[in-house]
Amino acid sequence: MTAIAAAFGNLGPIRRRVIYAYGAAIAIFLVGQVLHPGFAGGDSVRTILLVASFVGLVAAGQTLVILIGGIDLSVPWVLNGAAILLVTTGLGQNGRLPEALALTLGMGLAVGFANGVGVAYVGVPAVVMTLGMNGIMQGLSLGLSQGLTCQACTSYAPPLLQHIELNTVLGIPEQVVLWIAVTIAVTVVLGATAFGRRTYAIGNNPTAAFLAGIRVKRVTVILYMLSGFFSALAGIMLVSYGGQASLGLGDPYLFQSIAAVVIGGASILGGRGTYLGSAAGAITLVALVTLLSAENIPEYGRSIVYGVTILALLLLYGRERRH
Amino acid sequence: MASAEHAVPAPPGVDRGAVWRHVSLQNAPLILSLLILLGTTGLYIVFFNSNTGGLPGSFELTSLANTTLPLIFAALGQTVVVLTRGIDLSVGGMMDLSNSLAAAEMHATLGSELLWSAIIIAIGAAGGLLNGLLVVYARLQPILVTIATLSIFQGLAIAVLPQPGGAIPSAYTSVLTNPNQPTSLAYVAFVMLAWVAFRRSSFGIATFAVGNDQDAARARGIAVDRTKVLVYTLSGMLAAIAGLFLAASATAGDATTGDVYILQSIAAVVLGGISFAGGRGSGVGAVAGAFTLTLLVNVLFFAGINPLYQQFYQGLFLITAIVLGAGIARLGRVGRIGR
Amino acid sequence: MATAAEQTPAAAPPDPAGPAVEAVGVTHSFGGVHALRNASFSADFGEVHALVGENGAGKSTMIKILCGVLRPDEGSIRLKGEEVRLLSPKRGRELGVATVFQELTLLPWLTVAENLLLANEPRGRLHLVRRGRLWPAAASVLERYGVDGVDPRELAGRLPLALQQRIEIVRALLEKPDVLFLDEPTSTLAEREVQWLFALVRELRDANTCVIFTSHRWREIERIADRITVFRSGEHVATRVSATEDEAVTLMTGRTIERIYPHRSPAPTGDPALEVSDLAADGVNGCSFAVRPGEILGIGGLAGQGQRELFMTIFGARRAKHGTITVAGRVRRIRSPSDAIKAGIGISLVPEDRKTEGLLLPMSVRDNLTLAVLDRFSSGGFLRPRPERAAVADMLSQLQIKTQRPQTQEVGKLSGGNQQKVLIARSMLATPTVLLLYDITRGVDIGTKHDLYELIAKLAADGKAVVFYSSETEEMAHLCHRVLVMR
Repeated sequence: MTAIAAAFGNLGPIRRRVIYAYGAAIAIFLVGQVLHPGFAGGDSVRTILLVASFVGLVAAGQTLVILIGGIDLSVPWVLNGAAILLVTTGLGQNGRLPEALALTLGMGLAVGFANGVGVAYVGVPAVVMTLGMNGIMQGLSLGLSQGLTCQACTSYAPPLLQHIELNTVLGIPEQVVLWIAVTIAVTVVLGATAFGRRTYAIGNNPTAAFLAGIRVKRVTVILYMLSGFFSALAGIMLVSYGGQASLGLGDPYLFQSIAAVVIGGASILGGRGTYLGSAAGAITLVALVTLLSAENIPEYGRSIVYGVTILALLLLYGRERRH
Repeated sequence: MASAEHAVPAPPGVDRGAVWRHVSLQNAPLILSLLILLGTTGLYIVFFNSNTGGLPGSFELTSLANTTLPLIFAALGQTVVVLTRGIDLSVGGMMDLSNSLAAAEMHATLGSELLWSAIIIAIGAAGGLLNGLLVVYARLQPILVTIATLSIFQGLAIAVLPQPGGAIPSAYTSVLTNPNQPTSLAYVAFVMLAWVAFRRSSFGIATFAVGNDQDAARARGIAVDRTKVLVYTLSGMLAAIAGLFLAASATAGDATTGDVYILQSIAAVVLGGISFAGGRGSGVGAVAGAFTLTLLVNVLFFAGINPLYQQFYQGLFLITAIVLGAGIARLGRVGRIGR
Repeated sequence: MATAAEQTPAAAPPDPAGPAVEAVGVTHSFGGVHALRNASFSADFGEVHALVGENGAGKSTMIKILCGVLRPDEGSIRLKGEEVRLLSPKRGRELGVATVFQELTLLPWLTVAENLLLANEPRGRLHLVRRGRLWPAAASVLERYGVDGVDPRELAGRLPLALQQRIEIVRALLEKPDVLFLDEPTSTLAEREVQWLFALVRELRDANTCVIFTSHRWREIERIADRITVFRSGEHVATRVSATEDEAVTLMTGRTIERIYPHRSPAPTGDPALEVSDLAADGVNGCSFAVRPGEILGIGGLAGQGQRELFMTIFGARRAKHGTITVAGRVRRIRSPSDAIKAGIGISLVPEDRKTEGLLLPMSVRDNLTLAVLDRFSSGGFLRPRPERAAVADMLSQLQIKTQRPQTQEVGKLSGGNQQKVLIARSMLATPTVLLLYDITRGVDIGTKHDLYELIAKLAADGKAVVFYSSETEEMAHLCHRVLVMR
């Protein structure tokens, strides 16, 4: 027992937080199982993982950007814009799917590029740049779709995409498989590539990273592009899940993605954290929200408990170092 | 230390020109925000005229000020927090709560109005105090704390007023956001005076010091922790007051109309030239930023821009303003202390 | 364990009322590491007392305890003869202790006047500050203390470093202390400014103030100190009225260093490795020079004459307005440090401030070491741990950096000397042809300095071209083959 405790202590604070995050998720499942037998059962877990995958996808981009001390507030309307763009270019036809995907993901990359250039080359603070881009995307999405009343706007997502939501592989929804693949990819990039090492270096000390020959601006732009990509991807997945696009689709995901990243052990100041932790954070949050709905607490109660629980989790391991 | 009698004019070798140079360099962001306000006002007048053939009169001015008052207070709360390098995302939630309470509880008697105003402001202080304590003593990051408390305040707001409704006494409205009398201008003037006093008070100086360099401030004997707690408390109070003005201007209550002010208050702070790195900025800029934002909406309206595109222009405007500001900041380069 | 204080009779008799400050049997640790062990120290009114020792000897810790920033684990403190418990720096200030730390406490976006008069501003009605009175009040303060050429309306962050240091000193003097601690006050000051400081210090001493200061520059200590206390490894070693530099070094390091500076190889001839022609940038006006492989070239001059900007421009960290840089006979465009480090060009820079510009403190030794050459250890973008580990181990042994597990050891926890070595090792891993070393011995103790000098000599002997800047001209005189002066 003490050997395990010693090994645990040796893991280092980051890895410990990841374990705490998964522990929190498991704890919520257990509490849920007690209050609602079946909460921790197969169907329920599957659904929760499915919903968590959307948060998780957005959190992937958010993690990358937070790691270098930035933030992406353009998530809501890149996501929503992507959903609208997908249905209006896909028009519910599989034949148009490649074109629609390219356009939509390209849009996400383009917005990310703008964000990155603004932050890295022009020196606009990330809060402002991404906030402004969010407004721009909102205006464009609403304007170009005429408030989602355009003719093509009521299209469904192409059937192939819809199937991703419904089909399963070995009992796991394909959507979740996609998320697992993303998790592996991002974790590997961050942990085992030169790019990942440079990302952490920038997050720790951009000046030192620059003087060590890292192309800080270029890496920053790439990371924001990836964040835009993941937001767009989440939008595509969401609209496939729901079938049709709607307004306000992306709003909950901004704060949820930030919370997931922090609960997963990352520092909002940058330089510390892993995507594995953010993924755990996403699961924890969604499990919590699901449990609260199952409790038949009226909506306002859910908000309050949600906020209190985030605070509790932060108090447990979200504290910054003392000087 | 010299007393007033020994007042030495500018040290030898430094001339009046240098003084003006310093003043303008140091206040460059504020000057820029005032210029932006001026420019936007110009656009407003132009488009108003081309649309109606006349010039905006006292009615428009009063209405403009009334609409802007909630944002002014929200932006000021955000300003003091941002000055300490923090951020307060819960202002929207506190405005919701304040709005709901006023609509649900206030009766059309002077006693009730005064009592509930006081209670609501006290609740704002309590909410802000919670934020402050968590940031300072639990050492949690402001963005995270206020995301969580935002959720809590929003929930409480809906609990108080589950459906839009309730009623704000018309007497209250006529005091706070009178459409016929320029009382709003009196409030704006009061707010500016309050800022000037704040800037010259020990609390205000401490706020700026903390935002500059927390550790240096502490080494200089500034009560850093107490200042930060107070700053969040003040922000909560100002958000509550903003909610009261919001309620007064709407005459009925709604537990979600405050939400949009989260991002609006941040935008006003940005347009006001206040730096998110803390330590510099003026409340006057925040007020200017608030007016700019309201004027912008009117400009878009009178220019006949499709309202659906409103956010597009606001976002573009915001980014352009800050890029200009960044360019100007390069003129007054300030390095770190001690490199 | 503590040795008895070796006291020769002081030149001036101590104040009959007893020492101004006294620390008795003080022990203090940081997370298990002893900074002070049963250490004692005392200084009198009306004297200038130098506190010397290597980095990590405990000088700063002792000062922090004596002014109230830290509370000792064991031991007692006496101020003006009375035992006190200093629970905060504020308490220390109340008792008449003022301190100027190496980390300046100026607030960059506040004006000089606001900084100087913080918490003591001229007030008016409602206890609000009268801003109009700030400027003349500050101006007269600056005049009184002989700091000219500063406009009190100037933002503190826009002042050059030396001026910031002087304002910080004035700030402390404004408190009219009975005891003044100065931690490395001269590290950023040029000779004229050092004279200014020492004049003030003498004034204070004559007014019966107790002044305690630390410095790594022996010349200054000789000039101004009435007594010298040596600390080593957290313990008080000796207190003397005077000592030679060799004696001091022996006391500080516990060993005799035969020669501090290594033997200098003969000046090389041959084609230059680096040629700079009419290079201009912000702060650099048309510099030209050449340096050959095996040569150590010094860039000297008073502090703040553009040396840092020159180094940064050559390294690509700043944009050159015009001029050319020729490496191994080919004109090169260097637009970023990334360009400079690349194998084809091979210029590496070791910056002056390892904590803020060099190292990534929370990251591991390994991560810090290989940061500049990650491409060498990756294929297809993926890092290959084994070649990386081998290269790291090789570097660690070459530079004698002692660390248990480089893959996980946080570089921030290493000693200052080892941290500096890691930073230099990073540059060396990039196998440069030209090494730009900017003030790498600043704030480094004499033992490590000696190691660094040997290293520099060896690098030159191996055929590298070294461009060297140090704030101590003596170092440059001893180490360099040639020194160019910037003005």
